[in-house]
Order: sequence, then C-alpha cells, then structure tokens
Amino acid sequence: MTKFILRRLLWMILVMFVVSVITFGLMRAVPGGPFSREKPLPQATLDALNAKYRLDEPLIVQYLVYMGDIVVPRIGPQTVPSADEDYLIEFQLPAIFGENQSFKWVNFGPTYSARGRSVNDIFRENMPVSAQLGVAAFLVAVSIGIPLGVAAALNRNKWQDFGAMGVSIIGVSVPVIISAPVLQYLVGVQWRILPVTGWGTLNHLILPAFTLGFASSALIARLMRASLLQVMNEDYIRTARAKGVAESGVITFHALKNGLLPVVTVLGPLFAALVTGTFVVETVFGVPGIGRYFVTAVQGRDYPVVMGTILLYAGVLVISNLLVDVVYAWLDPRIRFD
Amino acid sequence: MKLTRFAAAGLMSAALALMGGVALAQDAPSVLVTTINMTADDIPTIDPTLSETVTSVDVLNHLFPGVTMSDVATGELELGIATAITPTPNDDGSVLYTIDLLEGVAWVRYNAESGAVEQVTDADGNPLFVTAADAVYGMTRALDPATAAPYSYVLLPFVTGAPEFNAGEADASTLGVSIVDENTYTILAPDSAAFAPAVFGLWMARPVPQIAIDAFGDSWTDPANIATYGPYALKEWVRGTGGSISVVVNPFWAGAENIPAATIEEVQWRFLDQPQAFAEYEAGNIQAIDVPVDQVPRVQADPVLSAEYYRGVEPCTYYLGFDNTEAPTDNVHLRRALSYSIDRVAIADNVLQIGWIAAGWFSRPGLNAAPTPELNPDLGVTFDLEFAQAELAIALEELGIANAADLSLTYSYNDTARNALIAQVIQQQWTENLGVTVAVNPMEGSTYFSTISEEHPGIARVGWCKDYNDASNFLYDVMYSQSSQNDVNFSNAEFDELVSQARLMTDTEERRALYARAEEILNEEEAAIAPLFWYAVNSLIKPNLEYVPSVVTNQAYNEWSFSG
Repeated sequence: MTKFILRRLLWMILVMFVVSVITFGLMRAVPGGPFSREKPLPQATLDALNAKYRLDEPLIVQYLVYMGDIVVPRIGPQTVPSADEDYLIEFQLPAIFGENQSFKWVNFGPTYSARGRSVNDIFRENMPVSAQLGVAAFLVAVSIGIPLGVAAALNRNKWQDFGAMGVSIIGVSVPVIISAPVLQYLVGVQWRILPVTGWGTLNHLILPAFTLGFASSALIARLMRASLLQVMNEDYIRTARAKGVAESGVITFHALKNGLLPVVTVLGPLFAALVTGTFVVETVFGVPGIGRYFVTAVQGRDYPVVMGTILLYAGVLVISNLLVDVVYAWLDPRIRFD
Repeated sequence: MKLTRFAAAGLMSAALALMGGVALAQDAPSVLVTTINMTADDIPTIDPTLSETVTSVDVLNHLFPGVTMSDVATGELELGIATAITPTPNDDGSVLYTIDLLEGVAWVRYNAESGAVEQVTDADGNPLFVTAADAVYGMTRALDPATAAPYSYVLLPFVTGAPEFNAGEADASTLGVSIVDENTYTILAPDSAAFAPAVFGLWMARPVPQIAIDAFGDSWTDPANIATYGPYALKEWVRGTGGSISVVVNPFWAGAENIPAATIEEVQWRFLDQPQAFAEYEAGNIQAIDVPVDQVPRVQADPVLSAEYYRGVEPCTYYLGFDNTEAPTDNVHLRRALSYSIDRVAIADNVLQIGWIAAGWFSRPGLNAAPTPELNPDLGVTFDLEFAQAELAIALEELGIANAADLSLTYSYNDTARNALIAQVIQQQWTENLGVTVAVNPMEGSTYFSTISEEHPGIARVGWCKDYNDASNFLYDVMYSQSSQNDVNFSNAEFDELVSQARLMTDTEERRALYARAEEILNEEEAAIAPLFWYAVNSLIKPNLEYVPSVVTNQAYNEWSFSG
C-alpha cells in the first residue's frame, strides 16, 4: 500500500506538470491580455506593466520563472511584503545560515487584477471559506443522497422508491442558478429565516451548503440505488441470508459496504469540485470563497490566478482520487494495488 | 510559519463554522451599508496611486481626498485639502501652480484592539501630519515607471518632465514638482490648460504615506498597516465576492471648506451582484443600491420603492466607433448614413427604459464647457431618414456598389446582455431604414478591448466615462488625432486646432462655442463616430437617509446622514 501511494504521488507530479503546461499554453494562446481595458492604456504604461510582471520576456522563460517560483525553495533575508514575492512557506532559519535568513518556498505570484495582492493571499483568505462551504455541502450531499438511495433500493417500485427518485430528479434537473436565487428569495427575503447573503456564522452556511449539497445528493442517490439493487442480487447476499443473518445485518454488513463502491468513485471528484469553490453559489449567496476567481481570472487574463486556481483544483482532484483508491481497498479487501 | 497558518486557518475555521462560529457584529443603526458603484468582485485596490476602477475611487475618496474635488451635487471643481491653488504664468507659456495644503491634517489608522481611530506617529512617537512632502511623494510615485501605475498617463500632459520620467528617460529630479515648505508645494505645468487643478486632484496624484509604504510594501493598504487622512478611516476589508470594506469616522478630520466631517458613524461597501444587493435591500440589510436594470420598471411601478427611487446623471457616453481609415467605413457618406438612420430616442425610451438619453454628440452635457441641449439646440446627430438614405446613395455610388444589401459590415461589441440588445435593435433599424445587412459580432471582453485598440473592426461599440470634469477629457483626450485613445483613427485638422485651442482658454462660454463646433465636425460633418446614449444611474436609497444626489458617479457619504 505504501508503495502504491508513493507511486501515485510521483504520478501526481507528472500530472501537475502536464496540467501546468497545457494551462499555460492555452491561456497564452487566447487573445487579449491582463491590461486590455475599455479605456486602452497608452503604450508606455503597458510597457511598464509588462516589464513589472515580466510579460515582455519569451514565453518559455516566463513559464520557467513561474514554475521556479513555485517549486524551487530559496534562502534569503526577510523582505518587505510584496505581492511578487509572497511565499506560502516562509520561516526564519537558525543563525548558522547567517543573520536574519529565511527559508522561502512556494510562490504562486501576484494577481494582476488586484494590485498588491498575491495568489497566495487568495489561497489563504478565500480558499478556507470555499473549503468550509465545500465540506458542509459534501456532508449534506452524502447524508441526503445515501439514505435516499438505500431507501429507494430496499423499497423498489414502492412509494418510497418513487418518492426518493422524484426528489433526486428535482435535484438533478434544477440547476443551482435557479434553485439558489429561489431559495434565497423565499427563505431570506420573504420569510426572513436565514441571512440573504454573507459569511461568518452557521446561519450563513445553511442555505449555500444545502443548495450545493442537494444538487449533488441527487446523483449519489441514483448511483446508490442502482448499485445496491445489483448487489442485492449477488450470490453472497443469498449466502448470508441462508446462513441466517438478520436482514438488517445483511444490508449493513454485506450489501451496503459493497454497494458503496461506485458511489465512492464519484465522491472523489465531487469532493474536489465542492471544496475548491463554485462560481454560482458563491456569487448568489455572497460567499467570499475562491470559486469566483476561477471565472474572473480567465475573463481578466489574470494569468497567475488562472494557473494557481487550476493547479489547486488539479492537486485536490488527484489527492481526492488517491483517497478514493485507499477507501476502495478498505471497502473491498479483494482490491490490492501492490 | 505561513504554512501552519494556512493549514490551521482552514481546519480551524471549518471547525468553527460547524460549531456555530463567530457571529458577525450586528449592524448598529449608525452604519450605512451600500452597494452603489460596487460589483460582485472585490475592490482591486485602495492604493490611490494604483487605482483605476470606480469601485476603488469611491472608497478611497473618503480616505484620501485630493487637493481639489468635484462637488458631487454640481460636478463643479472645488478645493479639497488645499486651501489655495495659485497659478503663475511664465513667459514660455508654462504655468507654475502653488498649492497650499490645509494644516494639521493628521495621518490616522484604526486600531482594531481598542476600536478607536488613532494618529499615526513617527519612530519617536510624534504624530504625523499630511505635508507637501507626502503630496510630492504621491505624485512622484504615480509617475515612476517602476510603480507601473495604470492611470498615470492622465497626469502626463499636466506636469513638466512627466512624460520623460514616466517613460524611464529621465530621473525624478527633472519632474516639475517641488516642495516649498511644510505645507506648500509647486507643480510646473507645461501649458495653461485651465482645468489642470482638476487633474492635480485626481486619485493617482493624492498624498500617500511613504512611512507606511516603505515599512509594509504591497501590504500597506491592509487595515493594520494603512495610514489615511480623510473624513473616514479604514476599519476592515473582507476580500472576495460577498466581502466588504468598512470605514469609520475619523475624529481627527476637522473638516475642510468643501469636505465636511462625517455624521454617519460607519460606512460599509459590500461586493454583491445587483440581484443579490436588491434582495438584501428588500430584506432591509442594505440601505443604498444600484437598481438592477431589469427591475427598473418594477421599481417605478411599486408604490413603496418608487418613493425611494432616484435617477441621476452618469458622466459617460455610449457610442459606435467607425474605422475612419479602412473601407467601407472610410467613406464619410456611409458613416453619415449609418449614424443618421439610428432612432436613438426609440431605443432609449422603448427598449432600454433605464433613463439613458439619446446622444447627439460625444461630450456628455454637464461636463465643464461641454455643449448642452439647452444652449446648443441645433447641434448634434438626429434621426433623419431622408438624409440618411440620400447619403447612402452617394456612398454606394462612390464605393461602386450597386445594391445596399451587398455592403459587407460587421458590428462588434463586448458581449453583455445590454450591448447585445442594443446591437440587435440597431442591426434591425439599419436593415429597415437602409436595406443594409450588418452582421453582429459579440466578443469576450478582454479579447474585444485588445482588438479595438490593435485592429479596429469596422463598427465597434465603445463607452467613455470622464476622468475629470471637463469636455477636454472627451474631445481632446480621445478624439485628438494623436491621442492614444483615438482607436477610430479620426484625423481632422480643424478639429485638432479647435480642441487644442479650447484646451488652453479660460472663458467657459468661449470654450463651449469651440467644442460645439468641434462636435459638429466629429459627429455631423465627418461622422467619425455615431454617438448613441448618455448614461444614467438608477438607485434605491432608504427613506431614513438624507443624501446628496451625485452627478459625478462617485458618492460622498460624509455628506449623508440618517434622518432619525
């Protein structure tokens, strides 16, 4: 297992490298630039801005400098805070390295659209908000989706089945861009039960987490139902019943555990998508997360933010999938990776 | 250290949120929450030197007022933190402006622990005040090419030596800005443009605290590091969508002649999309908003909301630029035919319905020295079908095209709902009125803006909003043949002469006459552009607020109050 995880981590480096090259290439192939304005900037100003952000250098140099700032650790004196040199990991070194020397690592660069702010600032300030919302939404999705799917499967073609699948049809077919403003208007403006927008208290979390989680729960419920129905027809379920295991035991220990496998497969990417923020839900509920940056960065050609957010998403996705594989092995002991 | 902080913040805040978290402070009745001029995106910066958006300027005006300011109610220029600005003409045509600053304006910072605004002190504990050195530093920093300030170019024509310094060809010592004494400095302007003091008061020319910038670098605008001097002081800044920026009364601001001390204790700007701001307004949590355009008819019809509704002036012009140098729009008769066949009034009143006004010319009425419909009733492009069709006939003959339908025209715009709507209506009007088939070409914003600067696509939608309150900011700064903003490649010797001359004159009515003639050339004779609309703003403001309707886009909340 350890060997498997190590091998996957090495793969992850390769994946991240490929993602970074493709993203960098695509983003620079798109016309327009970070300083294209409705009121065009004069050439001298453009030149100064391009020089400041090294956008006047050859693309390959820009890529290497960018990746170097992220990957290569460095040691140097502490400096005045600067968006160009803001390291995720920075700490004072012992005196043997010289006076006032710091270890610095992982600099995702400045954002062009907010002067004086770095991509790391966005990670520090906005990423945790999205992560909280994402985890909450994930819990909502799982705690609605799995029981709904199980109830539907165990009561196939009864009212519970139709009810549960009806609910999940709503979840699948009503996009959050509809459900979010509707819930917001009803619960926030009309009934005044929960805050309309904002962030900071549990009350602020409920509506966005429910909106986001409910939409995902539908998918989980349908998968859970289909998978459980299939498992219930397996030989080992019949064997368990023949042995005289109580029906509740058959379902909990034999059917459910195996029935979860396909659900767990989708939970990895789902988790990655939820914790890295969502544009619509964050915008509608005024949640200061990272989701909106994915879109505005592309629109504004904010290259470091585009790179940073995509690498972040790719990283979370790869790690989530790794976790899924580990959970596989626990769910089904026949699966071994070594 | 930072890794632990990052990781810990994520885990801890997740835990906190699930446990109930820390409650946000309840809004006291003395807090004004507003979204006017805001968007769903975070404010890019509040560093005056580096600002370029309305969102930034709206906030920083309350923290760093300029030596001059536009009166929000009238748009007229008045003194800000200067007590006098004295021009002394030189023989070579240049003008030396001597600027006296208000004395005793303290640099302050909000202390989050004590909850009070405190004076900023030097290393020895002596309180610091805004001096001529701060003003000169602010100006120099804006023009320094190393700063790469996006709006610095507006200053260039008004400060001797600025173009050379800004291009990196000369050092700061050649800049025509000098300190005279503690509270006095001078700016040497290369010519006698009468509105130079308006430019000296713009945000990128404001005093900034070198002591904070040197110590904290890019993070000097964080609430814990910043130093400000205006009627409000920065309290808190929650970054990102849905976030907010809050300012509290600065007790050390004694008030300037035209910048009164604030009465509303705290102002909070929130970063929300208009529909969400409207929902919060209806829920009673926000007191002042811009009305979403699709809600304007509903607001006007609603008995409660219509009483809280305010429609005001926005100093911007929406127009179509024609490529004046490439076929077929290089043909003046074709340009006239296209411009005169647009029924602007019908679009504004029947389609848009948001208070926009059909524009007959480029410089927005209300700007200093700009023509107005009252003073210049015969000026401007109108809807004149007969004339348009006659012009089209001449154009087709000159272009050697037999049938109007054979003209190949493309109308490009940056893709927003409103731009698309206007494009479709104009496309239809051209087909009905001229028999011309025009393709519409929506483009993604950034691509579009770089395209019109580099390779003008024939017919393109443009908007222009004022930087400073003078017609010269439209006619000279955009349409002068050598202007970097002149994307349509318009070039007319008489026009250039008129706007250059008017720029240096002082009498407003004489200037207005020259600008009226310049507009006649631009829109009627040459039809280099087709002016379409003058913008309006639509706001909702709660009835318990006494407010000053703004004609300059930006708000002055220090002049607002709660009526009880």
